[in-house]
This record gives sequence, structure tokens and C-alpha cells, in this order.
Amino acid sequence: MKILSAITACLSGSVLLFSGAAFSADEAKQINGCEALTLGAAISLTGKYATNGIHAKNGYEFAISKISEAGGINIGDKCYNFDVIYYDDESKGDRGATLAERLINQDKVQYMLGPYSSGLTKAIAPVTEKYQIPMVEAEGASRSLFNKGYKYLFAVLSTSEQYLASAVALAAEKAEEAGKDASSVKIAVAVENDPFSLDIRAGVLEDAKKFGMKAVIDEKLPRDLSDMSAILTKVKLLKPDLLIVSGHSKGAATAVRQIGEMKINVPMIALTHCEAADVTGKFGDTANDILCSTQWAESLSYEDALFGTASNYEQEFKATFSDYDGKKVPYQSAQATAAVYVFKDAFERAGTTDKEAVREALTATDLQTFYGPIKFSEAGNNIAKPMVLRQIQDGEYNVVAPSAFASHKVNWPREAQ
Amino acid sequence: MTALKVILYIVLLAFTVAAPFLFPDFRTQLATLWLMIVVSLTWDMTGGQMGYNSLGNIFFYGTGMYVAAVISIGLVYDVAEYTSAAGGGMNDFTPVQYFTGVGLGMLGAGIFCALCALILGYILFGLRGPYFAIGTLGVAIAAGELVSNWEWVGGGQGITLPVYPADLDEGKLFFYFLFAGTGVILFIFLRWLYGTRFGAAINAIRDDEEKAEAMGIHTMRYKLVTWSMAGFFVGIVGAISAFQLISFEPLESAYQTINLGIFMVVCVLLGGKGTLWGPVIGAIVFHVFKEVTWNYLLGWQWVALGALIVVTVVYFQDGIMGWLAHRKPEWFGVRVEKNDATEGADR
Repeated sequence: MKILSAITACLSGSVLLFSGAAFSADEAKQINGCEALTLGAAISLTGKYATNGIHAKNGYEFAISKISEAGGINIGDKCYNFDVIYYDDESKGDRGATLAERLINQDKVQYMLGPYSSGLTKAIAPVTEKYQIPMVEAEGASRSLFNKGYKYLFAVLSTSEQYLASAVALAAEKAEEAGKDASSVKIAVAVENDPFSLDIRAGVLEDAKKFGMKAVIDEKLPRDLSDMSAILTKVKLLKPDLLIVSGHSKGAATAVRQIGEMKINVPMIALTHCEAADVTGKFGDTANDILCSTQWAESLSYEDALFGTASNYEQEFKATFSDYDGKKVPYQSAQATAAVYVFKDAFERAGTTDKEAVREALTATDLQTFYGPIKFSEAGNNIAKPMVLRQIQDGEYNVVAPSAFASHKVNWPREAQ
Repeated sequence: MTALKVILYIVLLAFTVAAPFLFPDFRTQLATLWLMIVVSLTWDMTGGQMGYNSLGNIFFYGTGMYVAAVISIGLVYDVAEYTSAAGGGMNDFTPVQYFTGVGLGMLGAGIFCALCALILGYILFGLRGPYFAIGTLGVAIAAGELVSNWEWVGGGQGITLPVYPADLDEGKLFFYFLFAGTGVILFIFLRWLYGTRFGAAINAIRDDEEKAEAMGIHTMRYKLVTWSMAGFFVGIVGAISAFQLISFEPLESAYQTINLGIFMVVCVLLGGKGTLWGPVIGAIVFHVFKEVTWNYLLGWQWVALGALIVVTVVYFQDGIMGWLAHRKPEWFGVRVEKNDATEGADR
């Protein structure tokens, strides 16, 4: 009898939930005096990509509130404001794909913002492509996303092979300065086993091949990214000239921590995701002289009408989200903001909310933003914006390459801290 | 079979065919439901009918996905180039190439997985009870790790297959009927199989393996054949999943030991081990429960799922079918007589 009543309770509960969902179906929701324009996003709020998932979500939210403050999106003679339906993809690809289906089929979303990481983007892009839903993504950089012939995928960031290309070039330059041949440089590569980091590795190995350099270590980080001491022991023995580690935020934090603990002394160390992992805040001096690739830096001279200059963006962002006090605003947030901005621009140029017209407008994007210029290739990746390489010098991130943007000279060789 | 049963089966079959048209918004979920039914039924072949609880059947699912993907890509392009991290830039598949890939991929996946089961079974069936469960789990985990480091098939980044070449809704129906067709064939096959001497033999292995062997049953052969039949069907649904998911990676979608690998066991326990209908009912209840909680209790879905498992284990140890058989034995053709209680006939 008890069981029966429990089952009845459960059933009536779910009926209530069902009917609640049915009634909330949109009655042209209003936000800040303008009609709501709904975007969907599956994003990693839990799981191994949670740190960066939250950085990206904050970036989206910041852009949406700034756009709303500035009077919304003007399409024809009506004004709109973005409203985002978020779901947690648990950092899992199949979950991301299911949620994308749900956003499109059940929530009737017509436009999508990207998830975090190339892996999740790879899982979701076939779904948005299948339903012909334009997706502007800001966090999937692997080249393997842009050769599938996708027509509804647009990425505001630079592709992964560019992340550490200047680090390899810098290592060659330093070798030549020291009177050695560039081909004498020994490289150690340790990457996470995911689409983004594997493409970082592919890019580095291609560049190394151009200089005739040898990869003495070519390893994958363990799945949970929490221990790379076995690889670092190998580094101690084989003494490479350049150590490259890529494993999103968790990989970067593990690398810096263990490089410090094991007193690894490599003349040049290059990582991805330093700012997102807040390596200077967490590990202090240990992080010094490490090279970090970045999509965007607040010290660059980009600007636009809505967000102002890059440094203005950083200040306002910090004022909005107190979590970033005393830290760098990671580029993951900046590019997420840029993705929303790209949508606003495309909607206004299209002059309609028809998704095909918006897709057309997206392909014609040619936008100067605080994040850098944005212009899409036929494949959907941004070909207008370069990557920059920063070095952590006394706890500060200073741009050291490419030379057109460099504000500081690179410290070389790096001493064990 | 009584006339009532024939009518029941016809109604169910008609419903299977009509379901995607009755609920067009839920075609993907219905397709996944059939996937759950197939993996539960196949798990029960060894787990319920033969007494060998495998935690590694997900190995066949993942392997099926990869075999099918490699076959369908390999027919048209060089696999290593297609899956390279830098991206091969090859994505053109004509409809003919696509459907040939799906057909051959499914067949190849089924056969390859059946062979894998024979080879692995030969090694693993020496183990009993929890050792067999852990051994098979180990195989599935190891296979996932191996594949995720095998660059030829894309390593940790997985494989992205081409999108269904024709109309979207048609694609959903296509995958629904592939899954449902496999499920119906499997059900009919098992219904027949469990009534044969073969079925009696594997039940004997479950009940007492030593005695079965003493009776002259070549237990190893029966175990291998049973597992390879299970592997064949799981491989096929793995292949279908690969084409349905389009993009998959080794650890979380293909060799997903903690999701589907465990769900199939939970479905069978929920529905009732060692019965024909138990896995089907368990899969339906589990899948509906999962979809409802994932949709309406987002954030609490894992808690709800855990609660379901606890309730099953505590209150329904024999599953829904077992509970029903206990309460309503007459439904199962058991006649309880005053003095001489007979054993269940259809269990």
C-alpha cells in the first residue's frame, strides 16, 4: 500500500511538472522592455571542463547584460534582448549532443552558442548542422572542426595549430642566437587525449618538422589530468630544450605544480590555458618565465563601440564578477562575449530573425571588436585574428611574440624556480 | 500459444511500427529505448539465463561502433587520413556510399564482436561469480584505453561520421527502425531459443554448473556460443549508434562503462533477471524514468537514478517480473494447489 501511494505521488508529481512545462511555453517574453530572443547553450558546469565552462558562461552573460544596457538588438524597428537557455553537459560529448537535440526539439531554440572545448563542439556541431541551426562558438579550436563542410558553424577564435607555433619559432631563434642549429632543438610534448590538445600537438610537430627539430618525448597526459610526474621524470632524463604541455585548465595547473615540485629545469616551457587556471595566483613564482599562448590579451589595442577597449572590457568584467579579483580575465570569457556580439551584429545586419538570413549575415561578418577582428573563412573559423604568446615575468603576463605585438623581451633560458 | 497471446503480440508489433508516427517529437528517445531493450535482453542472456554477470558487454557496443565507423570510412577514404588530429578535410559521402557503409558496418560489427566474444570468452569463462564480472569490466576499460591511444582511429578525439544524407525526419525514422528491427528480431530469436534444449542447457549452467557438466553438457561451448550471440547483437546496435550519434569518442561514448555499461544491468535487475519480458519491461521503465528525470529534475537526475537503484535493490530484488510472479502466480501459468505447490513453469 505504501509503495502504491508513493508511486501515485510520483506520477502526480510528474504530471504537474509536465503541465507546468506546457503552460510556460512562450508568450513573447519581455526582457528590459524588449522582446526576448532565445539562444541555447549546453555548457560544462560540472566535470573536468567546469572551470572553463563557467568562464565561458560568464562571458556570455556579460555580453548579454551589456547589450541589454545599450538598448538591445535592433532588428527592423523592433528591439530584442538575448535570453539564453543553459544546460549542463557534464563535460561529456554524448550528453552535449543529447542536450543540443533537446534545445532544438523541445525548447525550439533557433540559434545556439557553443559549448566549452573542441570535443564538446565536435559532438554538438553535427546536431546543429543536421537541424540547420546557426551556432556561433567561442571555445572549439581544433582544425578537425573546420574540415567537415559544416555550414552553420562559426568560430570567433583562432585554430589550435596557431597556439604554440610562435613558441617553436622562438626556440629556433634562441638556438641560433646561441650559435647552434635550429634543428638541434629537442622538443618534449605532453598533451591531453582530446581533440583540442591533439591538434595542438599536431601543430607543434608540423612546425618542429619544418625546422628539422626532434620530439624526444611525445606523451599523453593521464585521463584525469591530475598527475604527470612520470612524464616529468622523463623530461629530467632527456633534457629537452622546449617543453610543451596542453591539457586545458586542469592540465596547466598540474603541469605548473609538478614542474615546481620536481624542480624541472627546461630552458623554455610553453603551456596553454595559464590564465584560465590562474597559475600565477595558485603557484606564485613557480609560474615565472613560462610561456602561455593566448587568444586575447587585455593589453592589446583592440576596441569596439559596445565594450570599449580590451582593457576596458577587463575592468568592467571584473567589476561585474567579483570572482576575478586579483586574477586575469581569461580569454575564454572574452571570446564568449565576442561570440554573442557577433550574433548581435549578424541579427542587425540581417534585419530579421529568419535563421537562414542570419546565417547569410554571419558568413559576411567583418567586425572589429575588443577581442580582435572577426571574419569567417568558408569553413567557419576566424581568419582575421592572430594568436599571441605571453610570458609570465615576475607574476605579470607580458606579450613576447609575435614581434608586431611584443611589449617585452623574452626571458631565456628559464631557471628552475 | 493461446489466441490471446497472439493478439497481444500483434498489438505490440503494431504499436512498435506506429510509435514513431504517434510521437514524432520523441523519435530519438524511442530509438534509444530500443537500444536499451536490445542491450538489456542480451545482457540477460548470460546474466539472467546463464548466471554469468558480465560488466563488460559495453565492450561489444564500443567495438561495434568503431568497426562500423572504420568499415564505412575505409570503403571510401584512407582511415588514418580521415581521422587525423589536424583533420583530413574529407567529408563527401554519396548516399550510396553512406548506406553501403551502414549496411556493411552493421554486419561487420556484429560478426567481429561475435568473434571477439569467442576469443575473450575462452579466456574469461574460466572465472566465476564476481571474478567474471570484474574480469569483463577490465576488458571493457582496457579496450577503451587502448582505442583512445590508437591514432589510426583518431585516438582520444574519436571519429566524426558523415551526417545522414537525406531528409532529417526520414533519418530519425531510419535509425528508429534499424534499432526496433534489431530488437524485434532479437526478441523473437530469444523467445524461440529459451524454449529449446539450448535454453535448458544454459539454465542448467546457471543452476549448477558442475552438475550440468556431469550430465554431459559441454558447458564451455554453451557459454561461448551464448556470449557470442549476445556480442553479435550488441555489436550491431553499437554500429547503429555510431551512425546515429555521428560524432563519438572512445571513453565516454563508445566504451562508456559507467553509463550504458551499468544501465543495462540496472534495467535487467529492475525488470527481472532470467525472464524473457523482464529486460524489456525494465528497459522501458528505466528509460522513461531517466528521460523524465533528465528533463524535469535536471541537476537532481543522478540522485533520482540512485534512488531508483536503491528502491529496486531493497524492495524488488526479483525485479518487476519477479514481484508480479510472486503476487500473481496465476498470470504466469502457475497453478497453486492446496497441498502440492509446483514450481513456476514460465520463469
